[in-house]
Amino acid sequence: MRFGPLLAAEFRKTATLPAAWAGVAVALLGSAGITVLNAISARAAIAAGHPELRAFTSVFQTGYAAAPLGTVGAIVIGVVAIGSEYTSNNADAGGGRQVTTTLAAIPHRTGLLAAKALTVVLLAVTTAALTIPACVGIAALVIGDATRETVTLDEALTRSLGAALYWTLMGLIAFAVTVVTRSGMFPLIALIANSSLVSVSLLLTRLTPLAFWLPDMAGRRLFGGLSTVEGGLDAGAGAIVMAAWTLALLATAATVFSRRDA
Amino acid sequence: MLVIEQLVKRRGGRTVLDRVGFAARPGRVTAFLGPNGAGKSSTLRILLGLDRADGGRALVDGRPYRSLRDPLRAVGSMLEGSGAHRSRTARNHLAWVARSNAIPSRRIDEVLHQVGLAGEARVRAGRYSLGMGQRLGLAAALLGEPPALVLDEPVNGLDPDGMRLVRGLLRGHADGGGTVLLSSHLMSEVAGVADDLVIIDAGRVVAAGTLTEVTAGHESLEDAFFALIGGNGETR
Repeated sequence: MRFGPLLAAEFRKTATLPAAWAGVAVALLGSAGITVLNAISARAAIAAGHPELRAFTSVFQTGYAAAPLGTVGAIVIGVVAIGSEYTSNNADAGGGRQVTTTLAAIPHRTGLLAAKALTVVLLAVTTAALTIPACVGIAALVIGDATRETVTLDEALTRSLGAALYWTLMGLIAFAVTVVTRSGMFPLIALIANSSLVSVSLLLTRLTPLAFWLPDMAGRRLFGGLSTVEGGLDAGAGAIVMAAWTLALLATAATVFSRRDA
Repeated sequence: MLVIEQLVKRRGGRTVLDRVGFAARPGRVTAFLGPNGAGKSSTLRILLGLDRADGGRALVDGRPYRSLRDPLRAVGSMLEGSGAHRSRTARNHLAWVARSNAIPSRRIDEVLHQVGLAGEARVRAGRYSLGMGQRLGLAAALLGEPPALVLDEPVNGLDPDGMRLVRGLLRGHADGGGTVLLSSHLMSEVAGVADDLVIIDAGRVVAAGTLTEVTAGHESLEDAFFALIGGNGETR
């Protein structure tokens, strides 16, 4: 089987799924909403003559501050890319799951999984490429030239790539976990809660420094310039550890997927 | 030609297939009959590379399904109804299926017409009736113009019009030299279209042969069927 048509089919399949668009929308609209709030607060602080009340008032920093929450969108994309295969159709319509069609069309399972993982990467990177500039743009519109930009263009680019890498890796981790669970519910709830509400890994660092090696804690400094808890790995080493987790989970997923009955 | 040899499948200590073997030949409609849970779907799933066998093998023109390049051009199949995600339209579903096996996109409209779904091509699969879902599944099976068709309960839930359509389609496919293997638990639907029969009960093939051979000495296919499965393999 050739990889080109396979990737085209899988990309099309995920990209035309309304649930995948929900993921893109969560990242884009959620981050944009937070940026609006942050930017209004920053402008108010500047206008009141107390910019020191905010962690930062620069346009880039304000727009970029929403990036960690955008991870939720990448998680949704990763989960639905494979979870949708296992969703049963309505009983009235005969039930059945898409995965039977998929595996009949593409019996080479490792290749199939690779095409799906690459689809997640493409969608996560595209979402980041839309979201981060959009948020910085919103911050620029709201704050205007009331503040001096403290982040250089090079630095802004590096930080944006860091955020895009974090999103992509989290999307792939969500994907790998969902391959194993065959249902999107558990990974969606657990990973979204961990990324947005209560970080279990963060709490674990209070118990043992080993928790700094968990994927989300290891990679958190990829969001350059944003305040985070002390300790743990720096951005480079953290990125490598997070990527290693991702690869290990993908390898596990591929092994399970290849051996399991559909 | 589809060949099943000595297939064994165990699930949780239970033997669901016990040395199942038969062939479906070109130019003929082979009906795979048995009560619910007899092992029909398990056999077809192994043939299509979806599940693994614990013994034996299943071959498509001498090759395992998983080794086929662009398998939809060799075998068209339908299992589990439409096989489409509920949020997809028929057209969208067929579009990704076509692309995965490098099938020209003009085939999408052709098969939609062929199964009578052209008017519902933009309806989401989740809103389909059972019969429409079956038609979509059939459309996906026909997409790659495959020489062989493998269909699990293809007439289940179809209205009389749909049943007639499917029978005509299968007959036409076999008469054109194609291979058709279909499973069913409904005798009456099969009697009119099948050339060869394979009857399975509790994971074992209890009879195989042409329609005349299997029904010899019985009033009807239904009588033959119940006599065969009633004896649980002993009457062979």
